[in-house]
Amino acid sequence: MLVLSWGVIQAQEKAASGYMPHSYYTFSWNTTFPLGDFDKWVSQPSPAGFDIGGRYLIHKGLTTGFNIGWQRVSKIYGSQTYTIPDKGIAITAENYRFTWMVPFQVVIAYHFMPSRMISPYIGLGIGGDYMEHHLLIQEYDIYKTYWDFSLTPEIGALIKFGAFSQWGALIAFNYKWTTNKIDLYQTTSKDLQMLNLKVGLAFVLR
Amino acid sequence: MKTKIYLLILCLGLLFTQACTKYPPATDRLLEDLVVFTQYDTKADFTSYKTYTVSNTIKKITSKDTTNMTGPLVTAVLNEIAANMNARGYTQATGTQKADLGIDVVYFQNTYIYTYYYDWWGYYYPYYPYYPYYPTYYSSYTAGTACIEMQDLKNYDPVTQKMYIRWTAMIRGLLTGSHTQSEITGTIDQAFIQTPQIRANVTVK
Repeated sequence: MLVLSWGVIQAQEKAASGYMPHSYYTFSWNTTFPLGDFDKWVSQPSPAGFDIGGRYLIHKGLTTGFNIGWQRVSKIYGSQTYTIPDKGIAITAENYRFTWMVPFQVVIAYHFMPSRMISPYIGLGIGGDYMEHHLLIQEYDIYKTYWDFSLTPEIGALIKFGAFSQWGALIAFNYKWTTNKIDLYQTTSKDLQMLNLKVGLAFVLR
Repeated sequence: MKTKIYLLILCLGLLFTQACTKYPPATDRLLEDLVVFTQYDTKADFTSYKTYTVSNTIKKITSKDTTNMTGPLVTAVLNEIAANMNARGYTQATGTQKADLGIDVVYFQNTYIYTYYYDWWGYYYPYYPYYPYYPTYYSSYTAGTACIEMQDLKNYDPVTQKMYIRWTAMIRGLLTGSHTQSEITGTIDQAFIQTPQIRANVTVK
């Protein structure tokens, strides 16, 4: 009887542990929090963004994959004065600053418990961005575009909706460092950095 | 469970479409903003001038004609310029007294017309279905720019008829109907604030 009970418990534990995924794909809503010099440009978090990702298990909990996305940060700044002293010029205007970007990265991540319903991971993304920085004053749109190199350490978790469900949720938080810059007026912002919070859906393949 | 997942996908899809616009919302409102642009002659010594005069009208230039503007707003603008000049230590010339600096205000009014259309295919009865047509829409707004010029009367050369402009202030976005008189006179103050070089002597700030 005791052996039988032990066997049932073991079977239930195995069932609860779920399955080892072969790969998974994610679609997430991305909220951006500018940091450092980027925060001087637009000092406001933005929920305008999304991210599409794919991960493939290569060995035990080790995965490799990709992330591509789209993000935009923006803020209206009230009456501000910009000067060009050597030309004797000063302009006071309300201005609308925004940056939109297309990030693309290859990612390597380690899942600590890949077969569990809740599978936390740490990862590192390496890639780049295409960014457009815009300064809008009245009908004038002054902008510059740059490509960059980026690094993104990330922590997160894949949460399956059931032990054997192919659907799940993704929640992740990352810090992103880029070589991008903003030089639209006197202040040059270098090495743009940001935090990102990603919340989305995951589709898991066995 | 599947229904919930589909609803989640739908919600994410809606967020996706909302997020995916290049320009943030409310950028149209920028057209109504007032912009104050100033440029002074970096080689000019403003302390070498002591007196000034301000024209008693504002010229209004449109694509149709040129007229002289009058009314309380015009008086308020001209008085504000004089008040700022006095505060910087200059004296307004009176009668036949010759002034070192002359200040003129010109107002340019423009009507901007936008044309846009949607390039989509529609049903155009009684012709062929899916006959392409492009409905055209027009939109317009009227805005103006006031230009304040500070002329160097002291160094005017009647032989060559050369007149040096020592300072120019341009205020864009006027008369859209969304600004009060105090906001407009405030832009005159701002033009002077951002040009601290205009002062009759070094002790005036």
